[in-house]
Amino acid sequence: MENLVIEETKYTPKISLDKNGIVSMVGKSYPENTFEFYEPVMEWIREYFKSENKKFTLNMEITYFNSSSSKLFFDLFDLIEEHNSEDIEVNWIYDEENESALEAGEDFQDDFEGLKINLVKK
Amino acid sequence: MESGENRLIQEIEDLKLNFEKTLNKLTKDIQRQEKIMLRSDKRQREEYDELQKKFAEVEALQKEIEETQKEVVFTMGAIGESRSKETGNHVKRVAEYSKLFGIYLGLSEEESEMLKQASPMHDIGKVAIADAILNKPGRFTDEEFEIMKNHSQLGFEMLRHSDRPLLKCASIVAYEHHEKYNGKGYPRGLKGDEIHIHGRITAIADVFDALGSDRCYKKAWSDEKIFNLFKEERGEHFDAKLVDIFFKHLDEFLDIRAKFADV
Repeated sequence: MENLVIEETKYTPKISLDKNGIVSMVGKSYPENTFEFYEPVMEWIREYFKSENKKFTLNMEITYFNSSSSKLFFDLFDLIEEHNSEDIEVNWIYDEENESALEAGEDFQDDFEGLKINLVKK
Repeated sequence: MESGENRLIQEIEDLKLNFEKTLNKLTKDIQRQEKIMLRSDKRQREEYDELQKKFAEVEALQKEIEETQKEVVFTMGAIGESRSKETGNHVKRVAEYSKLFGIYLGLSEEESEMLKQASPMHDIGKVAIADAILNKPGRFTDEEFEIMKNHSQLGFEMLRHSDRPLLKCASIVAYEHHEKYNGKGYPRGLKGDEIHIHGRITAIADVFDALGSDRCYKKAWSDEKIFNLFKEERGEHFDAKLVDIFFKHLDEFLDIRAKFADV
């Protein structure tokens, strides 16, 4: 398992995947081809869950995202939920003034009742 | 037989379970899609509203800049006028006449409007001429007149460094409004079309207004006397095309004069 870092661009967030089970995404997300862009990330996480390591923390601080990113985040949470345990948590970090970020966080909480999703005000 | 039946039932039960699982997943997916769409629509609406608001703000700012520019330019012209103790409406009338000439000559509305705003600055160079000469009653000596003539060059020097179209236009107007079509004007003695059209227009607009007004060194001329001069100077002092426009649309020029009369 190797660390993976994807640098931020105008349309995509900075993503760092740490082999100790800490994944963070910071920035905006409206790529041209969302699913293609995130495939290496999904693949990395799938591999991670195959490893011995159980602890997994996802920190997401996405200030702006399009609807296909929203769909992808649902898929990502599905994947995480499949391996749900008390060692797994998601921090959805939002700015107080960013209403749509907060609403999205609430949608994820509603949809993944078993998953520990914390809404963290910046 | 019994175990066979049980197997079949088991298979059906498994199918049912699978089927239910798939249905649940489908339902969930549809619900998610709907949620995503609702959120997306809501945000799109907000973003569009915000965009409209910003556009309106930019437009208002743009207008503010333009108005400020106009005011600054007009005020500069008025400063020039006030120093030479001519009445303030002179610049307004010259501005309006210039635009009218521009329109009838076939310049675009935009260019004519720019000329209207720039022409009040034609005498701005006078701020650098000594009071004793500027406000001298009666005729200038040759030497005084030479000093007075510097105001064209001075005005040009003041305005030439700007890249703003309006100020560039004003610099040309200041520089060339005393040039004559026959080449006998100053400061450069330019001839015919060598004189920028903005300079030629301001020249005739300025003279028309100056002759018709009382000045510290002379009384206002009668219209008849002015018209005769214009006829004599057609193609000499003034561009013939502009003299023709003046007479063709005389009523409109006189309307402007009446509207912005000195009180």
